[in-house]
Amino acid sequence: MSDYFHVRDIHKDFSGMKVLTGVDFKVRKNERHAVIGPNGAGKTTLFNIMSGDLKPSSGIILYKGKDVSGKPPHILNRSGLSRSFQITNVFQQLSVFDNILSGVRSRYGLRYHFFKRPDRDHHLIEKVEALVAEVGLTDVKDQPASSLSYGQQRALEIGVTLSTEPELILLDEPTAGMTHEETVQAIKLIDKVTSGRTLIIIEHDMDVVFSLADTISVLYHGTILVSDSPEKVSNDNRVKDAYLGEG
Amino acid sequence: MKKQGNIFICMSGLILAGALMPVILSQYHLYILTEIIIFSLFAVSYNLLLGYAGLLSFGHALFFGLSGFATALAIIHFPGLTLLSTVLIGLAASIIAGFVIGALLLRHKGSYFALLTLAFSALFYAVAVKWYSVTGGDNGLNIVRPDLNLGFASISVSGLAHFYYLTLIVVGATIIFCWYFTQTAMGKTVLLMRDNEKRMQFLGYNTNFARLILFTFTGALAGLAGSFYALHFEFVSHMAVSINMTTVVLLMTFVGGTKKFWGPILGVFVYIIFQNYLSDLTDRWALIMGFIFVFMVLFVPGGLSEVIVKIQQRLFGKRNDNGVKYIASEEGNL
Repeated sequence: MSDYFHVRDIHKDFSGMKVLTGVDFKVRKNERHAVIGPNGAGKTTLFNIMSGDLKPSSGIILYKGKDVSGKPPHILNRSGLSRSFQITNVFQQLSVFDNILSGVRSRYGLRYHFFKRPDRDHHLIEKVEALVAEVGLTDVKDQPASSLSYGQQRALEIGVTLSTEPELILLDEPTAGMTHEETVQAIKLIDKVTSGRTLIIIEHDMDVVFSLADTISVLYHGTILVSDSPEKVSNDNRVKDAYLGEG
Repeated sequence: MKKQGNIFICMSGLILAGALMPVILSQYHLYILTEIIIFSLFAVSYNLLLGYAGLLSFGHALFFGLSGFATALAIIHFPGLTLLSTVLIGLAASIIAGFVIGALLLRHKGSYFALLTLAFSALFYAVAVKWYSVTGGDNGLNIVRPDLNLGFASISVSGLAHFYYLTLIVVGATIIFCWYFTQTAMGKTVLLMRDNEKRMQFLGYNTNFARLILFTFTGALAGLAGSFYALHFEFVSHMAVSINMTTVVLLMTFVGGTKKFWGPILGVFVYIIFQNYLSDLTDRWALIMGFIFVFMVLFVPGGLSEVIVKIQQRLFGKRNDNGVKYIASEEGNL
């Protein structure tokens, strides 16, 4: 299963500016894989390519043996891949419950039905309730997303990401802007909800990375410097140089 | 849930009142009421695009008029057809047009979408004016309503009361379905796409597909209204596909308000009644309607429905804590 998710030689130029210059790494099934790197290394671009938001200039992404590079987001989502957003990107007007419902009903094929009402479907309601409880938002499930605290909004972001029951989860800096306290909670939550699933996480916070990841890939100047276990990565001289400045 | 119950009581009341109208109203007023019901469907379909999906179309009359012409042409060229078949022909024409035009437009939003719909509308208008042998050009087409054949019985709807009942049942039921539609999976999808299309894509929704379906659906609704328009006036001309007709439905929708489902219906009532009384008083009625529209846009952008909701809130107090506020904003689209 070493080829569960394989990013192979991905390049990306933005009108001449080379952001990614050959990114290569593999993610095994049920692995928790972190992509780290200093600012400007191309993490967000890479993330957007993996999630279908951008097309790579060249290179392919193999997911379950198929090339999925450049596939539109909704197709990727239906094949079991789901992403979160760094800046909370939920339906602000909607309650927590309805936010989660929007993904759950998509997962069960209730997207465009002209007659069925998703809020009357007991099977879906049960699924939503369970997920709301899993991300710890049961107390506020009827409140609009806009009224939640920052930590709760981030939990909802993860909840919405999980709502289509993905097997591969892509998290984009899930603890960005959090206090230490909130970060600890977020790590616990991510640890809990991603068990039995594959996780690719892009993160700045080293505490988060070292407490979650099985494998770390270091992205530096548009290419992967090293992809290995946390211990080996933290002792790697190239990585130290990259983070401490080129000496 | 209680609110839902109230809605059903309201609707039953409306249906009962509707059934009694031919007894209460004069022929003239019944004629206007029939027109109001038909335009209500037109305006509701327009608001599904404008208020719900956030798509400003300047070509909605295209479907209305196309279907009116198709129905009229079917009556003229195939004299044996029953009334419902001619309506279905009109509906089919608007569905096909909606699907084809929608497929060409679906990647465009905002002003591009608005301008492209305007272009298509102008195209259809030019055809309606120039293709004299088919559309009658400036003279339009005069028709006579065929009988309604229900299989076991043939009913004449040449009388106004009969046609009123037919309109009330068919068009009224369609409007009720439109309300129900806003509660269904597709109705919710449309709303959520307006709020956050990107997230919807990452949740597995093909938003281009959904927009195409919605565009076709609203085109079909406008088409149904257009068929009944042709049957009601027993006449159809290029006016029905003109920019003017789109402006009329836009005005009706704005006057009533886009944020409530019933807003456009209220707008139609006000518009048509005003128009009838004003045109009795002066030939310059369109100018006055224009002033009213400018006034509404400047000072009451939420339309009459917003005014009513505000009065209601003032009288009965605000029922808004956080939880209810959300329901209000969701059913705010009611």
